[in-house]
Amino acid sequence: MAKTATPTKTLADEATINTCLAHTIAEGDLVNFRFCFLSYSPLRAYSSEDIQNPRYSYLLPRDDTPSSRHATALALVQQPAIQAHVKTQLETPGAMQLPWEPLLMLADNAVALGKYTTAAQAYEQLRIREKMRTLFIDQADAALDQGDLERGVLGYRIASGLTYDYSAFPEPLPAAPNYASKALILHAVYPQKVEDCVALLPQDNHIRVALEYLLLDGSLSARLEDKPLDLRLKFLKTLVNQIDPHWATFVDHFKETCTLVQASEGKLQTGEKPSVEEITTHDDALDPKRIPATLLGREIPGGDWWQYLKELAYSHPASVLFLTRQMVSKDLEIIMPRLLHGSAVVEALDLNIPEETA
Amino acid sequence: MVAWLKVEHDYMSDEGYIDYFAVLGLTAECKPGEVRKQYKVLMKALVLKIAREEITEARRNAFLLEMCRLNAAYLILRDTEERERYTAQRDEVIALEAQWQELNAKQVDTEEIRRDYDGALKQFLSTYMEERMLEAGRDKECIEASKWDPMHERHASTVLRKYRQQLYHKIQERLPYAEITTPSIDWNERAQVVSTILEGGVV
Repeated sequence: MAKTATPTKTLADEATINTCLAHTIAEGDLVNFRFCFLSYSPLRAYSSEDIQNPRYSYLLPRDDTPSSRHATALALVQQPAIQAHVKTQLETPGAMQLPWEPLLMLADNAVALGKYTTAAQAYEQLRIREKMRTLFIDQADAALDQGDLERGVLGYRIASGLTYDYSAFPEPLPAAPNYASKALILHAVYPQKVEDCVALLPQDNHIRVALEYLLLDGSLSARLEDKPLDLRLKFLKTLVNQIDPHWATFVDHFKETCTLVQASEGKLQTGEKPSVEEITTHDDALDPKRIPATLLGREIPGGDWWQYLKELAYSHPASVLFLTRQMVSKDLEIIMPRLLHGSAVVEALDLNIPEETA
Repeated sequence: MVAWLKVEHDYMSDEGYIDYFAVLGLTAECKPGEVRKQYKVLMKALVLKIAREEITEARRNAFLLEMCRLNAAYLILRDTEERERYTAQRDEVIALEAQWQELNAKQVDTEEIRRDYDGALKQFLSTYMEERMLEAGRDKECIEASKWDPMHERHASTVLRKYRQQLYHKIQERLPYAEITTPSIDWNERAQVVSTILEGGVV
């Protein structure tokens, strides 16, 4: 039987190539940018894939009106030297060599769009990840010194996102804000004593733990330790608001829960060993399971304390810093609000409740 | 001054391919008896230094790393077979780098040799910058000399992982770019971009 030749096609047209590349650069999309150059890319010659096929429509911009990012990226890829390099790469079989200027722009766009994992990978390929991280930290420190908290906090968050090293020996899981897992570690040990309870830590320690947990990078939170307390508090407040735009919702749930417990004549104790009896002896007034459900804003059917904790950490990362585990009976453990009355951390995050409730 | 103090701040003196003979201040012709003797001297000096100094996190990491290096050097060099295996792997990875650099200078296709080298380098760093170092911590003689315990091992694995990455980066810095065209970074422009991003503007 005669062997039929594998059907091949020619290179996609120049305008389509440019549009596809510009789209991936503007979106900070490293995966698809690299895909455009792979041997089975629909843009390549010697590939059986066709860019006109609807299944590749994701490589093209959806909007008819391109963003300013797209326009800038398009102007870059239309530069003759870059265009010539791209053409050679797409025409020649074998290993690809990505052009560095578009890759750099892609990385910058990824940072601006909050895609720090992608940005870290792209900067890593350019071998400038560590230096870029240092630049962000330096400018963030300068902004903090000038009292520009929004800028300073953003700089630290970006630096944290660029910490992960993708080069030689990547971790099994990519870097991501894994607050749900970190919250479990934070509450891994049942608090037997006041000092075991995260929410009741002395103010200074509480800020330190909070910053370490929220920044996801011990070296960055350690840099902040020399800053004045007032600045660290403002930093924490700004950080919480940047990470969690719906923090006010949690504040409402938190206060509602405190009122609920108070209404049932139980008390949320601070500074003393938590009293289980105060909740359980008044259980005709309050089903303990309502406490985590009110905190979360919904009930998890049959939910354990850790399920509530993980979901709260996912929705409102900072919330777990003001909670504690509480056994209410032999078979039931819940999470409930707990705070150190008069703590500046509590005040800064609007969680202060009337003293009689606290 | 003992040998480990001389090298403690210059881990790239061996081009990133850890030279365990140099770690112990010995030559490649040294006998197992010399390895044992030198290891004991250096480890004793290190343990005394640790006991004398106030331990900060940075110092703890540095001491831990130095302890790992000494333990691994002893474990590998005292055994003839192990020593030969290590020397062969090290020579191979160094030769592959030289070969790649040479071919690259001639501007011929280097993809295959680059892949071979990268694989060999990762293998070398994994084996001799992590596995053997942690394994040495479980060796009876090393435990006795260095007072190594499970707590050391837990911290050491983090320290070694970071150190291994640093070495890999340092090595990469002197190598030609392969997957991307050689960048020409303007750091003033970079600082401006960072500033724009922090302002929330379009880059």
